Amino acid sequence: MESSPKTWAKEVLIDLSKCTGCKTCVNACFLDVIRWNETDEQPIVAYPEDCVWCLACEDSCTEQCIEVIPNIPAPLRSSY
Amino acid sequence: MAKIEDIGEIVSTEVLIIGGGVGGLATALKIKEANPKIDVLIVEKQTTGWAGKAAKIGGILSFLGPNNSADKFLDFQVNTSGFYLNDQELLLKYLQSSYRAIEQFGEWGAKLARTPDGKLVTIPTFWAPEYSTAYIDIDLMLPMRNKARKLGTTVLNKIHIVDLLKNENRVVGAIGFDIVTGKSFIFKAKATVLANGSCGYKVRRFWSAGTGDGIAAAFRAGAEMRNAEFGNLYAHTVFQETDCGMVGTSFLVNSLGENLLEKYMPGSGPTGVFLPVKLAISLEKEVNEGRGPIYFQPPPSAPPFGVHSGLPKISKWNERMEATERKHGFAPGVKHEIGVPLHGETSCINVDHDMKTSLEGLWAIGDTSYAGSAVAGAVASPPGVTPGSGIMFAVISAEWAALSAARYVAEAAPADISIAEAKSCKKNIFSSLERKKGFSPTEAIAVLQDVMAPIKYNLRRSKERLEEALTRLENLKEKMPVLQAKDPHYLSKCHEVKSMAICAELTFRAALMRTESRGFHFREDYPERDDKNWLKWIILKQDGHEIRLSTQPIPISKYKIKPAG
Repeated sequence: MESSPKTWAKEVLIDLSKCTGCKTCVNACFLDVIRWNETDEQPIVAYPEDCVWCLACEDSCTEQCIEVIPNIPAPLRSSY
Repeated sequence: MAKIEDIGEIVSTEVLIIGGGVGGLATALKIKEANPKIDVLIVEKQTTGWAGKAAKIGGILSFLGPNNSADKFLDFQVNTSGFYLNDQELLLKYLQSSYRAIEQFGEWGAKLARTPDGKLVTIPTFWAPEYSTAYIDIDLMLPMRNKARKLGTTVLNKIHIVDLLKNENRVVGAIGFDIVTGKSFIFKAKATVLANGSCGYKVRRFWSAGTGDGIAAAFRAGAEMRNAEFGNLYAHTVFQETDCGMVGTSFLVNSLGENLLEKYMPGSGPTGVFLPVKLAISLEKEVNEGRGPIYFQPPPSAPPFGVHSGLPKISKWNERMEATERKHGFAPGVKHEIGVPLHGETSCINVDHDMKTSLEGLWAIGDTSYAGSAVAGAVASPPGVTPGSGIMFAVISAEWAALSAARYVAEAAPADISIAEAKSCKKNIFSSLERKKGFSPTEAIAVLQDVMAPIKYNLRRSKERLEEALTRLENLKEKMPVLQAKDPHYLSKCHEVKSMAICAELTFRAALMRTESRGFHFREDYPERDDKNWLKWIILKQDGHEIRLSTQPIPISKYKIKPAG
């Protein structure tokens, strides 16, 4: 994924060699960033541009095979 | 003639709950506890048990303890936060229900912070008299979901419900689509409960799911709205680094090092967690006059902000969040630039004391109707005035709606869906997907945020600027018919931006009508509170392609707390 100044996260990485296919990360994502790829029976980072690095996927992964890279400083939307 | 099955998959239930967050789950549990035979279906846009308006729900619950005075809190809330726009009877009912709601979480299997001998850990709040805070773990919805399923609740995930379906003035179900496959669904229900949250305009990252879908659906179906002008919470936060939460108001300084709480609100003492309107406007002034940026700079002796409850899941998540921030460049313990992003919380569906909307067969709970219920008055709600009230209002209002809806379905006639209406809705729902080129929803969201988020439009209001904002909103609305979605995920975003635009317009129209300043509504051209003319709620309703506004007098004579003079 290209890092865009408008996205909260730079990248969502899943180490598929460690993934057991439990789908918890797919369920944990509240913005539909991670989808289940029925063909490969693996999770896929389908919409990384919507990730807000809540880290629910990372935190819930039993194999600890997900890493979310945030954009810090965060992209600004000034109110002034 | 077309059959309804040709329009989408038909799913029938007695009670349809739209939204599988904490409020939707609590509604299901309460209906099943009242009458296990009632068919209950939860339909959620993401995944029930994980989803919800707030990404990481959990943390704090604010409540009135069994030995505390509801009257004292009522007095404080109405006089200093709600400014007489509260439904004081409903606020009292809410306060009297709050301790029971805390106990209820334990019974549903959620983990509350407890002392080694099993007593609930409670801390008196410093921002409100009589109130206390308890702590709940971040995974509270999973045991609720498991229990709801065990009691026979059906759950369908990844379905975005766009519109309510009506038979005359009665809501008889809803229509939506699967955000993965794009398949169309029609839900037939005797009773429908909206539990899909408020609108935060996707400005802040943790609240990005709050897009006002239920509010917009109710509005389009003809339901009344109330207190829309108060959905304008601004939250000062270490925004430029992480936008992760809120910081204390006591340690905000400008580029000259001046303490801004002392400068603009001397002697005010701790103001609570949320930014007072006066201070927010002052921060804008500081920046506009060249004394920005604003920093959060606590003295080294200040205790860490926030409380560590010792609850396992939230502690683990906090540690992970801090480690990620540090690894990627956020240095702890130094002064940080802050921003004042819009947090929003448009939650304006008008409801009665049972959370019934103005439409038969439709209830609205939690953050869909927190402001519309008038529990909190002239303040963005949640939080009302009390952090930790969002989950509490969701669960308490869920019980009221559940009992009312359970009574209703026992007597109500079966739902009868109009094929013509369903067909027309389906055509509108999928139009963006069929378009090969057009306006991207991502771009539309950015344009909407540029109208909704500036303090000059949404907090430091005036007739001239509100009209300017509405003109900009009209320009955006004109482009809505050419929104283009490349797949069902983006189709969902198209409907989110349409919902948010409705919430924005409701906010600005109500704000333009209220020619006074009160609570979170500040008008530069009408800076004083006007109790003579404005002890009124503004009611908004769809009228053709327009919004019809009217006022409803506050029944202040029957309420306990009245303005002086």
